Amino acid sequence: MRKSALVGWLLLAPSLVLLGGLVVFPVLYNVWLSLYDKHAFMPVQSFVGLRHYRYFASDPEFWTSFYYGSVYAGATMVLQLGVGVPAALLLNEAFRGRNLLRGFVLFPYMIPTIVAVILWKWLLNDSYGLVNYLLTSAGLVRAPVAWLGPDYIMTALIVTSVWQFFPFVVVTYLARLQTIAPELYEAATVDGASAWRRFLHVTLPQTASVLFVIVLLRSIWMFTKFDTVWLLAGEGGVSRYIRTLPVYAYARSFTYLQAGMGAALAVIMFAMLLAATAVYFRLFRTEEVFS
Amino acid sequence: MRRAAALYAAGAVLLLAAAFPLFWMLSTALKPSGEIFATPPRFVPLHPTLENFQRLFADTSFLVFFRNSVTVAGATVLLTLAVSSLGAYSLTRYRFRGREAVAGLILLTYMFAPIMIIIPFYILVKQLGIVNTHLALVLSYTTFCLPFCLWVLRAFFQSIPLELEEAALVDGAGRGRTVWHVVLPLALPGLIAAAIFTFILAWNDFLFALVLITSEELKTLPVGVNDLFNATIVDWGMIMAAGVMITVPTVCFFAAVQRYLVQGWGSGGVKG
Repeated sequence: MRKSALVGWLLLAPSLVLLGGLVVFPVLYNVWLSLYDKHAFMPVQSFVGLRHYRYFASDPEFWTSFYYGSVYAGATMVLQLGVGVPAALLLNEAFRGRNLLRGFVLFPYMIPTIVAVILWKWLLNDSYGLVNYLLTSAGLVRAPVAWLGPDYIMTALIVTSVWQFFPFVVVTYLARLQTIAPELYEAATVDGASAWRRFLHVTLPQTASVLFVIVLLRSIWMFTKFDTVWLLAGEGGVSRYIRTLPVYAYARSFTYLQAGMGAALAVIMFAMLLAATAVYFRLFRTEEVFS
Repeated sequence: MRRAAALYAAGAVLLLAAAFPLFWMLSTALKPSGEIFATPPRFVPLHPTLENFQRLFADTSFLVFFRNSVTVAGATVLLTLAVSSLGAYSLTRYRFRGREAVAGLILLTYMFAPIMIIIPFYILVKQLGIVNTHLALVLSYTTFCLPFCLWVLRAFFQSIPLELEEAALVDGAGRGRTVWHVVLPLALPGLIAAAIFTFILAWNDFLFALVLITSEELKTLPVGVNDLFNATIVDWGMIMAAGVMITVPTVCFFAAVQRYLVQGWGSGGVKG
């Protein structure tokens, strides 16, 4: 091997060792583990083949988790776009204080999840929370709403998550908006297009590819979100009304100590994401989007 | 005129949505307990006090958690920058077979969410004998930051003209000194973006800290603060004070280098 190639590999070695040892190996080990009955702490294991997979196929808890997880990922993704895209359009306009506002909008995304969660637990507290106070004093609800009770815990989770993650949509969408050539808008204005038509016929086609990526990434990340969900309700109590697949996998592995089962759930989640991504590309990745 | 008014109104709504919850956290943290539960609630504390903070420092292990978080996040940033600078330099300055394939594979590892490998990860860390150590946390955070940092730094290194390095080499500076004095300073915005990304990930992480750390005295902030809810009566003033304390370093760090971050953000994207 040439000397320079050797040095090249040597410099890359620490990265490769870490990624190989702590990501690639665990991924493969995880697949292997899913075929075993294994205690999370004890060194006991026995080969069970596809039994875990068959078990989950008829496990109501699994399907409930899948349902909650899909509702959560779908609702938060749509709402993040619904809040994030208009916010990005606003922050692309010229007005005084714009840069400051751009900084402030990033706050929810930068702060640790634990902070976002304790914040919303406090705002949504049924007896002393500000949200219930504002709703009751505005006459919108007659009695305080138990936001963190069984009926509304999913709503509370969605609100918290949308607040925490919409800035990602803002930043990513704004980055693309800033690169649209002003000539395109000028031409449209000369043609007498209204602001709405300019958005529809210039902005939207220009940003279609970035929207494609945002929807993909946000859906995947919300589907695999663990910390926000777990922190909001912990284990037990109302947590079962927001038990998504990542939380279920965690519970199987570290509460019931069934590492093999937990590993199988991880494999299932990965397969689902892969399948959904393939379908998504089929449906939306047209020539038009990427031209 | 109407357009300007509409812009400012929309801007005010956005500001309120993004920043009000944080303002409310600060306001609650500064209230004496009587005011916290007052109806109607006061937006600005009538008698601001630091007693919630004093209770937090005196009655809980908060300062230990804080020190642990600083240690872990700091070590992670240093290790990640070192490893990813070496790697990115190799990917841009040395020719070898399979280089592009390796770069692609590195990006692929970015696809795996921590929750999907936490179980084998835990078993592995246990076998290595480093479960319940800060080293385990530093190594996991470094690994999960690497794909992003390698790609950001690769983009920055690519944009630095080779001629500058060659000139320094011709002048008799060794390879190491050339990198240190020529390449790294030019890639500073990239290094800063990578550092912020890494710091935020390490400072925020909950899952690894929950699974890998069991000793009270080794816990980092997210897990330690979540434990405050285990009390019979939830002390909201103290918990909000903890929230303020965790947020301050992030905001300071971020405010200092915001313009670099937006640059890095554009070149790689941030996960979460």
